[in-house]
This record gives sequence, C-alpha cells and structure tokens, in this order.
Amino acid sequence: MKKLLTHITLFLIPILLIWILAEVFYRTVPNTYSYKHEQISHHNDEVEVLVLGDSHTFYGINPEWLTLKTFNLSNVSQTIYFDKLLFEKHITHLSDLKYLILSVEYTTLSQEDNTQEDIWRKYFYSAQMELEVPIIKWYSPQRYSLALTRKFDKTWKSFQDYIRDGNLIGCDSRGWGNTYLSTMDSAEMQRISHFTAQKHEDGSMDFGLNSERIQEIIELCKARDIEVLLVNMPVFTGYLNRLNSEKLEKIDAACEAFERENPNVTRVNLLRDSRFEITDFQDPDHLNVHGAKKCSLLINDYLK
Amino acid sequence: MLFNTIDFAIFMPIVFLMYWFVFKKNIRNQNLFLLVVSYFFYACWDWRFLGLIFLSSLVDYLVGLSLAKTHENVKRKTLLITSLVVNLGVLGFFKYYNFFLESFQDAFSLFGRSLESSTLDILLPVGISFYTFQTLSYTIDVYRKRLEATNNILSFFAFVSFFPQLVAGPIERASNLLPQFERKRHFDYAKSVDGLRLILLGLFKKMVIADNCALAVNEIFTNYTEYNGSTLFFGAFFFAFQIYGDFSGYSDIAIGSARLLGFDLMQNFNSPYLSRNLGEFWRRWHISLSTWFRDYVYIPLGGNQVSKAKWVRNIFIVFLLSGFWHGANWTFIIWGLIHALFFLPLIFKNKQANFKGVADPNKLLPSLKTVFQIGSTFFIVLMAWVFFRAENLSHAFMYFEGMFSKSLFSFPTVSRGLVLFLLVYMIIEWLQRSKKHVLEIDFIPFKAFRIAVYYFVVFVIFYYAGDTQPFIYFQF
Repeated sequence: MKKLLTHITLFLIPILLIWILAEVFYRTVPNTYSYKHEQISHHNDEVEVLVLGDSHTFYGINPEWLTLKTFNLSNVSQTIYFDKLLFEKHITHLSDLKYLILSVEYTTLSQEDNTQEDIWRKYFYSAQMELEVPIIKWYSPQRYSLALTRKFDKTWKSFQDYIRDGNLIGCDSRGWGNTYLSTMDSAEMQRISHFTAQKHEDGSMDFGLNSERIQEIIELCKARDIEVLLVNMPVFTGYLNRLNSEKLEKIDAACEAFERENPNVTRVNLLRDSRFEITDFQDPDHLNVHGAKKCSLLINDYLK
Repeated sequence: MLFNTIDFAIFMPIVFLMYWFVFKKNIRNQNLFLLVVSYFFYACWDWRFLGLIFLSSLVDYLVGLSLAKTHENVKRKTLLITSLVVNLGVLGFFKYYNFFLESFQDAFSLFGRSLESSTLDILLPVGISFYTFQTLSYTIDVYRKRLEATNNILSFFAFVSFFPQLVAGPIERASNLLPQFERKRHFDYAKSVDGLRLILLGLFKKMVIADNCALAVNEIFTNYTEYNGSTLFFGAFFFAFQIYGDFSGYSDIAIGSARLLGFDLMQNFNSPYLSRNLGEFWRRWHISLSTWFRDYVYIPLGGNQVSKAKWVRNIFIVFLLSGFWHGANWTFIIWGLIHALFFLPLIFKNKQANFKGVADPNKLLPSLKTVFQIGSTFFIVLMAWVFFRAENLSHAFMYFEGMFSKSLFSFPTVSRGLVLFLLVYMIIEWLQRSKKHVLEIDFIPFKAFRIAVYYFVVFVIFYYAGDTQPFIYFQF
C-alpha cells in the first residue's frame, strides 16, 4: 500500500504543479471579469447609465458615444440570471443611475441556467466579481479552484493570450468589448449565419423564469426612478432569416408587454434596423467597432 | 456523480483510503462502508430512486433465503415468479409503460378505434436495467441450485449496489461477485496498478474518443438532411466509436475502481471492432449482457441443442430481447433484429464457434482475409448503429436514404483529424489485441518509457477532451 501511495504521489506531483500554476494564473492575471469589477467600483458614484446583457451589448454599446456617463457591465454569454445578480449587487452603490439598458436577444428569454455556456463562467462571477451565485453549491470543487473550471486547452490558450497581450482583458475602462474591429464578406457572413442560428436554437419557448427575472429588475428600477431601455440589438439579416420566426414573434410580444405594463420601460427595437449594413458586423450577430458606434448613437437619442 | 468529473476524482481516493485504512480490519465494516458510499454515489444522481434499489435488494434477499429453505417445486417456482414479477414489474413500469401504451394506441388506431388513456411523465431511474438483471441472476441461480443463498444481508445489499458498476455495469453474476463480498479482501499492488491503468484508459476512451465523436455525431444526426451521403456514413462511423468509447470507457473505469477496492469484475469489452464475424462481435461487445442473455434466456430455451428452426427462433428471441433491453423504442428492436438476421448465416455455416482466439496471432499485420472479415463485420455493425442512434424509425430510414445516395461518393465534410485519430487508435488496439487492455504495456522494458506513456495519455485527456457528455448507457 505504501508503495502504491508513494508511486501515485510521485506521478501526481507534476500534474499538481501544473494545477497550482494554472490556479495562480487565473487568480492573479487581470481578466475581463476582474477588470470590470474593479472599474465599476471606481465609477460607482458617477454612472448614470448602466448596460447589461450578453456579448451583443458587450461589443455593441460603446459608452464613449453616449452623452451620459455610462458603464457597460455586460459580458460574453451573460444571462439574465447574472444580469439580475449584478444589478442587485451594484444598485445600492449607483447613486446617480438614471437609465438601465438591458438587452433582450434571441436566446435571452429561453436560456436555461447552468448550460454549457455558463458552466464555467459562474465561478468567475463568484470569484472575481464577488457575486453570491446561488447555483454554485458549497461542495462544488470549482468553487474553490478556478483552474478546475476550464479545460486544459482553454487554459493553455488563455496563457498564450497572456504572453502576447500581458493580460486577459477584453474591454476598455468603461466595460465595452473593444476587440471586434473587422468584418466579413457577404458569402462568409451567410455561411456563418447558418451555424450561428443553429447554435442559438435551444428549442425552448418557455420564457417564464427569465421574464420573471426581467420584471424583478424592472421593479427594482421602478422603486428607484430608473428608466429601463429594453434593447433588441441589430443582427445580420441572413442570420435573422434563419431563426424561428414564431419564437421571434413571441419575443417581440414579450418585449411589447414589458413596455406596455411598465411605465418606466421603453423598448428600443433595432433588430431589423435597415441602417445597419454588413460592414457594421463582426459576425452575423455581433456589431464591430463601427456598428457599435452607430448603435450607441441611436440609443443615445433615447437618453434625456 | 459521473466518473469523468472532479467530484469522482475526489470521491474515489477518499473511499479508497478509508476502505483500506479505516475499515480494513473488519470485513463487515468494509461492506457496510461500501454500502453507504454506494448509496451516496447513487443518491448524487437521484436520491428518490434509492428506494427501488432497496426494494429490489430486499425482495431478492428474502426470496433467496426462502428458496434455500424449501424443496417443494411449486413453492420454489412461486418464489421465483415473485422475484421476476417484482423486478421486471418495476423495470417494466419505469422503462416500458409509455412504450406499450403508445404502441397499443397506434395498433388500435389502425383499426379505426381509439384507446383513451394518457402516457405518464415517468423519469427513468439511472441504472435500473443493470441492477435489476444483476439481482435476477442471483435469484435464478439460487432457484437452479447453482448458487447457495446468502444469509448475509449486508453482503447482499452491498453486492447489488456496488457503486463502480451500479449504474452501467458490467452486469455481474452473483456467483462471481457475491462471494467476493463474503471473504476478506487483501490489498494487491499489481491489481491496484492495473486498476489505475484501466481508469486512465477509461477516461481516455470516454473524454477523448467518445466526447469528441459526440460533437460530430450530434451535429450530423440532427441535421442529416443538410449533409451528403459520405458525411452521413462518417456520422455513423463516429457514432460507432462514440458508443464504444463511452460504454467501454465506463466499464474500464468501473473495473479499475473495483480493482482498487480488491474486487474482480468481469471483462465487458474486448476490442469488439476487431471481430471477424457477428458471433465473435457478441463475445467481445457488452460481454456481461450477452452472457446474461445466453445463460438465462438462450440456454434455457434450448440454445443450439435443438432443431435448426428452434435454434433460429432462440437466436431471434435473444437478439430482440437484447434490443428491447436497451430501451422502449422500435429502433432498438430493429437494431437487435439486424444483428439476428446477420447472425443466421453463421448458424448454417456452423461458424459461430470459430474465432475464439485473437486474429492472426503473432503477426504484426493482418492478412487480407482478416481485413475483409473485420471490415465486413464492422460495416454490418455500423449500419445497425444507425437504428440505435436514430430518434425513431423514420429518422433512421431517412438517414439511410441520404447516406446511400449518389453523394455517398462525394467528399465528406468531417474532421479528417478525428478520422485519423480513430484509425490510429484502432491500429493500437490491433497491436495490443492479445493483451487484456490497450494500456497493458508491461512488455516495455524501461519503466521511464512506461511512465512517459501514462503521462502522454494524461496530457491527451487534459488537452483533447471534448465537451463533457452524459454517458449514453445511463439512459438504459
């Protein structure tokens, strides 16, 4: 037995060392989560507009083009679940907040918790944005080790990014995702649209839970005289045409209902806005730097 | 708790250390500990179904005791039937209720009548098909007087719920596993090292082979109308490796974990895709299930010691039952039927007894004949897998329609790297075909080289693991 335990220990030493290095890497190297948390803490007192949502708003709304002082707290694959947790955490510190911009995209309302997309992200919200995340159980090992949350190839890729850039931050000091600088040709955009639409189809029309969460956010805003802009971000037509039209209608109806039933809600529907051209998109469902400027200026018209 | 999760990586060492250090001195305590951790392991899936394992264990334990006390045939038969009714009744309700109801409804509608009843929203308890067959083997063996009934309730309950093989086998025979619970286990270094190798191999098969194939399979089977014939062919090819990596990987981890605790479980897979005919395939694929059906269905029906007509009937019964065991869907029954149909020529050629050893022993390369035999067997198995993977029969037929179109000879849109990787893996299996498993590398003279191989496998698992997918056989 002693022999076996000794051999196992010796065999595991290099693996444990790599694990420790990965843990130190994730805990010490600044990334989008830790940076956003740090920046919003700095801007607490002056933020008048807060942006929440997923990658569509993360890359698509640039606070630089809004006249009011804005912080973009959205992030890649950020679900309404985390939007709500973040909003509840920061609302008490945002004394000047006048507007909340909340995006409602194709996947927003039907998104389930703990899916592949947020299976690892939730631990970063917890560890690096100091969020209490109820879906993380106390006995989950990843709660105590960020290195265990991601597969080794992803960690290696992040490490390479760090060697190249010196950090893992993908946004500017106002939280805008500033790395989408290019576009695609029409054929490529059409081709990718097919796969993106497929990827985003979760087959669910159950909006109950996430609608409830949005309503709770709206109620919180109502209590503090904060206006809510419910935004449907622009997407490439080829992508839009491949989505389930019935679900799109249902999303549309849900947004209309939010606006109708809540006096502090204004809907900003840019989904089919013809002012956006193919050169405004990085890929079928994300705006690039030019599109972000255009979109931000349009949204700015709704801010008083 | 999945074998390929951090949870199990924490659970197993704790169990191992407590088992050998804290409970080592007393076999009763060891068995009690195994029972508790096995129930905990199962409760991590769904604690609500623990009652079913308890019920199944209790019924068969009591039936076994009663069978030991009586010699009256009628009473013994009644006891056996009681066990069968309870075990198969529970299995039937949870697994087949909706299937039969829907089939009856369809049958009635054919005659212009409608059957007014609604299906139930029944959740299938994980592993029910496995532990039900395991407990049944005990009762049947005791009934046949091939096994002494145990009066040690702790051993029996621990045998039924033994966590390494509780949810997806191997389906152990009571005659093999139960006595191991009743005698003192001794720590064996070589056995433990081999157990660790098996765990490593199992993780590789599951996380690298199965999970990477799963991504391609899910995409191709879901959107089969958008792919050409050759891509659909590779979709089936990937599924063949997905299910092999998934299930044999699970079995390897189960056998390896059991070895660490001093138990020997039966081999469940033995390079099945190197089989030269279907008879050999079924001696190498899911061995614990195929031998279960052989021992408890095929042989009692007369096996091959009957007329050819009855022999054919027996073959069909076994394969159809085997298909039905996998799930309440006509696709599984057709899968079994295909295997039965292609098994028939072996009966008439009397070749089913052949190919019991490894192919081309002591040769580095296979002969052309062997390549043809392995290739043709694999092709039949591959085609049958399409039914196994399809959502329903029409899905399977449309998949075949797309596959066997002109575009079968066009260029496939699949990952060439994955195809190459699978072929390389099969070459390694071929080279290691006379060994018990691929990682049995004791022939490598230098220890450092052997350790380098283990590190390489660990690296491949960490670096190339696909997105975690549930084990396919948990649904059965």
